[in-house]
Amino acid sequence: MEFSADLLINAIVAGLLLGGFYAAVTVGVSIAFGILDIVNIAHPAFIILGSYIAYIVNSRLGIDPIAVSIVMLPVFYALGSAIYQVYYVSFEKRGQEALRGLAFFFGLLFVTEVMLILVFGVDYRYVEARYIGPSLHIGFVDFPLRMLVPCIVALLLFLGLELFLSRTFIGRAINAVAQDQLALRLMAADPIRIKRIAFGISIATCAIAGALLIIIQPVEPSVGREYIGRVFAICVLGGLGSLPGTLIAALLLGVVESLTSTFYGPSWAPAVAFGFLLITLAVRPAGLLGR
Amino acid sequence: MRMPLFTVIALGVAAVVYLAGKLFAIDYLFFAGYTVLHFVVLATAWNILGGYCGYVNFGSAGFFALGAYTTVFFHKAYPLPIPALIVLAGIVAGLVGLGTGYLTLRLRGVYFAIATLALAIVLQTLVINWNYVGGSRGAYVIRPQTAPIIGSYIEYLFLLMLLLTVLAVVVARAIERSQLGFGFATIRDDEIAAEALGVPTLRLKLIATTISGGLMGMAGAPFPYYIGYLEPSSAFGLAYAVNAIAMPMIGGTTSWIGPLVGAILLGTLQQVASVTISSAVNLLIVGILLVAFVIIAPNGLVGLVQEFLRAATPERMTWRSLGVLSVAGYGIVAGMFGVVFSLSAIAAARPALGVLALVVSVLLIASAYGLLKLQSWGLLLANASFALSIVLGVIELWFVGGVGAGIMHGGAVAIAVAAIVLLQDAGVKSLYRVPPGERRATS
Repeated sequence: MEFSADLLINAIVAGLLLGGFYAAVTVGVSIAFGILDIVNIAHPAFIILGSYIAYIVNSRLGIDPIAVSIVMLPVFYALGSAIYQVYYVSFEKRGQEALRGLAFFFGLLFVTEVMLILVFGVDYRYVEARYIGPSLHIGFVDFPLRMLVPCIVALLLFLGLELFLSRTFIGRAINAVAQDQLALRLMAADPIRIKRIAFGISIATCAIAGALLIIIQPVEPSVGREYIGRVFAICVLGGLGSLPGTLIAALLLGVVESLTSTFYGPSWAPAVAFGFLLITLAVRPAGLLGR
Repeated sequence: MRMPLFTVIALGVAAVVYLAGKLFAIDYLFFAGYTVLHFVVLATAWNILGGYCGYVNFGSAGFFALGAYTTVFFHKAYPLPIPALIVLAGIVAGLVGLGTGYLTLRLRGVYFAIATLALAIVLQTLVINWNYVGGSRGAYVIRPQTAPIIGSYIEYLFLLMLLLTVLAVVVARAIERSQLGFGFATIRDDEIAAEALGVPTLRLKLIATTISGGLMGMAGAPFPYYIGYLEPSSAFGLAYAVNAIAMPMIGGTTSWIGPLVGAILLGTLQQVASVTISSAVNLLIVGILLVAFVIIAPNGLVGLVQEFLRAATPERMTWRSLGVLSVAGYGIVAGMFGVVFSLSAIAAARPALGVLALVVSVLLIASAYGLLKLQSWGLLLANASFALSIVLGVIELWFVGGVGAGIMHGGAVAIAVAAIVLLQDAGVKSLYRVPPGERRATS
């Protein structure tokens, strides 16, 4: 393909928009894996679940997918809390997170995906909203609203979570639970409850990320699998538990993926995340902004 | 039992299986048998790393496909006989396992799990973009009509997979009882302590990933000849990733028997389910079983049996405990197949009977679990669910024609009657009289 400046700039802008969206997809994993040390590989499956809920409500009632996802937040929060409770009783308490806990989440990922296939089939589903389609043009740079709106919502979500984690008592307790559970107990906070809240929040972000996903691209049940590598690559690259690091890593991955698919073809894009992951693990396992 | 003796016995069992298949002379049996056997190899291979060392590999499908695509590559470049391809595939997949392990295993175990998860996707991307092996369109591998000496080609493939199964099981058992296996176990139990005591953990882990990956590749090598047309989505199918984990987890991860039992049970179950219902439903069953087992029976079926024997017969095996064990075993197997059959009945025209059968099947599984856990509710539930299954069997006998169905339902009724009679035995009842708390205290 011929190399040109506006193609390059457009690819970078598209990558940044995509990266913003990736940040929303990853922030839940960043909390669960980075802070709580729960390797929830089923996270993308819950995102797809969020997409399908947005799809159902949007196609039946015509409500905006983002509005749907905000209404669904408590439901996903409750789902997350319930899953954490099972996880805690069955694995964390018995010290079996490493093997069986992982297998548990893998099973959840799998069951969710197959259920969606059984109910909806493997057809691609999409939503309708006014901002899907038109683009903003500034000079020769395109800002498709389909990408811009999710990116803005994602950044707002990100900002909100960062403020919550650094300013509120519960947010600080969530940060503390990874560091010193005993100290947390002395502050009269129950570590299990704090972890349950945090995991609930982590799953709740899936509602929003799912709605954003189905705005960006049509969704079928196995789309989630592509995101497993991505979210963990971003999470590790950013540095475990560091939200700003996650944001930087997400933008970086978005740009590199966008450049790859512009100049080498979209079928190579999924390999980028893995390359990122391996390089990070080999060179700097602590990530960009890791502790 | 010493290693050579075990190998001879394993080969003997394999010969019996092969001759039994030959006796029926139905090609479909070899077809289905091949599928079950390649799952046995995959599950055993997964367990060498996952069960013995405690490191989870989510990329089994990737290693399997690596083996399959090695075959496709050589099929085009330089045709070789399948045994040679199996060896080559083993080498390729083993090297990839070694490489992935080398990059990620020095860190926390979970990074390895995540890397394998991503590895499968990347390998798939590579294959899709590699036109020589068919790209996303897939590749035809025309299977010869006949094989030398044996005749039928599917029989030849079956025999190869049977030998590969023997190899995998013998290797797994040999590792388990060697110094290597003890080293693996120290990694699984406490890696930091093992390292402090001078166990070369990284080297051991790399050996495990290489052997495990290599065996998975070997399981994949004959696959293109088996299905004739290989496309990325079938070689990298979810079924391999989930079954490779679910089968050892459900069977039990601590010994070679677990993956074998799990793979034979689940593999057969899926064969039946994909014939009678659909392949999506059978994956759903596997997923649900996986989640249920890791929560309720973390040590799998083998673990349940071991715990039962330890608690029920502290000194030596009695016929009572053996009887209860076979009742429970029957309950689990019949219950699992019952679920599949009743789901297919629901999908077909007989929903009412299907729902009843589904309830009975689930009750059978639950009661078998209760029996093995020595819970008093298990005995009650077992009596009730076997009684229900008699009622169900009689109804089915009444409505359903055909000799085969007659034998099946008649047999089920007879076994249920025998089970209830056995459970009324005073000695058996006494096993369930002691509250579980006290038993734990005395043993």
